[in-house]
Amino acid sequence: MGVALEKLPGIVERFPGGSVAVTQLDQAINLARSNSLWPLMFGTKCCAIEMLMATGAAHHDLARFGAEVARASVRQADLMVIAGAIVKKMAPRMRLLYEQMAEPRYVIATGSCAISGGPFMYNSYTIVRGADEIVPVDVYVPGCPPRPEAFFWGLMTLQKMIREGETIREPGIRRKPVMAALPEDVSMHDIRREICSALIEDNVVDVAKAADEKPWARKVREWIQKSSSR
Amino acid sequence: MDPEKLLALIESICPTVRHRAHADRAALSIAADELLALMAVLRDDPALRFDFLVTHTAIDLPDEKCFELVYLLYASEHGHSLFVTTRVDRDNPVVPSVCGLWPIAEWQEREVYDLMGVLYDEHPDLRRMFLEDDWVGFPLRKDYQDEHMLELPK
Repeated sequence: MGVALEKLPGIVERFPGGSVAVTQLDQAINLARSNSLWPLMFGTKCCAIEMLMATGAAHHDLARFGAEVARASVRQADLMVIAGAIVKKMAPRMRLLYEQMAEPRYVIATGSCAISGGPFMYNSYTIVRGADEIVPVDVYVPGCPPRPEAFFWGLMTLQKMIREGETIREPGIRRKPVMAALPEDVSMHDIRREICSALIEDNVVDVAKAADEKPWARKVREWIQKSSSR
Repeated sequence: MDPEKLLALIESICPTVRHRAHADRAALSIAADELLALMAVLRDDPALRFDFLVTHTAIDLPDEKCFELVYLLYASEHGHSLFVTTRVDRDNPVVPSVCGLWPIAEWQEREVYDLMGVLYDEHPDLRRMFLEDDWVGFPLRKDYQDEHMLELPK
């Protein structure tokens, strides 16, 4: 960020039409940023089990989206996943963590509690009603808790926002937050069936059929015929 | 020891206890000023030997203007357990601390103080535990209100 902000625009601005070069640079930088989100190793409540443990583990594998490098230090992280309800005591600490994160920083709020307080919205003396009361949120992922698939959908939404949205000339300009629910016509059952069929196609090999397709298969068949006719 | 025999034994030692109905184990109640003496007997009597305070909590009863304090005891040697309850005035909730008998009570009483506002006499370190130090009020009281809370619309 330092090089791009301080040096590059100045160099580009010197010749006419430089703005085109800057937007091209935007695209390259945004692509890099969107594919190397480093989430903060941080969870406020039960969604954290789903968000950073289940999704980060081998079965769902956050690494496929370039966001697997969960950092324990805010200085090295640029994505804060607010996973779960935020209590009043946590709120100032969370704001502090957000302020310490490296720019540009992004926030995903997952689960009902982080969106609105969820079941603790009424008659609760300690739960903050929504993460946006404390930090600006980019993407909301609804669910209680969201499935890892839904979280991936939210992450992909954020990546899309980064790719299209940010420009190094106006750092820190935020877009409106979006609600990234899985599309209505996609059910978890569909996803699971698709994954199952893909796994079966990939992993089940018909050995005889595969051998027939090999270039030496014809020769083998001739040998077998010859030996049986003898 | 089965609950009836346990209660009979405790009654023979300390005649002022009252039985409590509707409990799934031996349960009794005692006046707050006799609590500490009874607890000492419960812990040290060789036939009882309640060496483990499993939990301590409080129930707010605003209609009866009192807090009901609940102590759940377990004897690891004999394998029996016991509910002890006592009542304390809601406007002046001061009770003796059982920290001297079971050190774990220090934490449990701090929690009850934090959320219910029951004051424990001779507690070594009675201060907030889960809430911030500058919190005003005791949120698990039934009549607790603050400006952050939202009422559920009817």
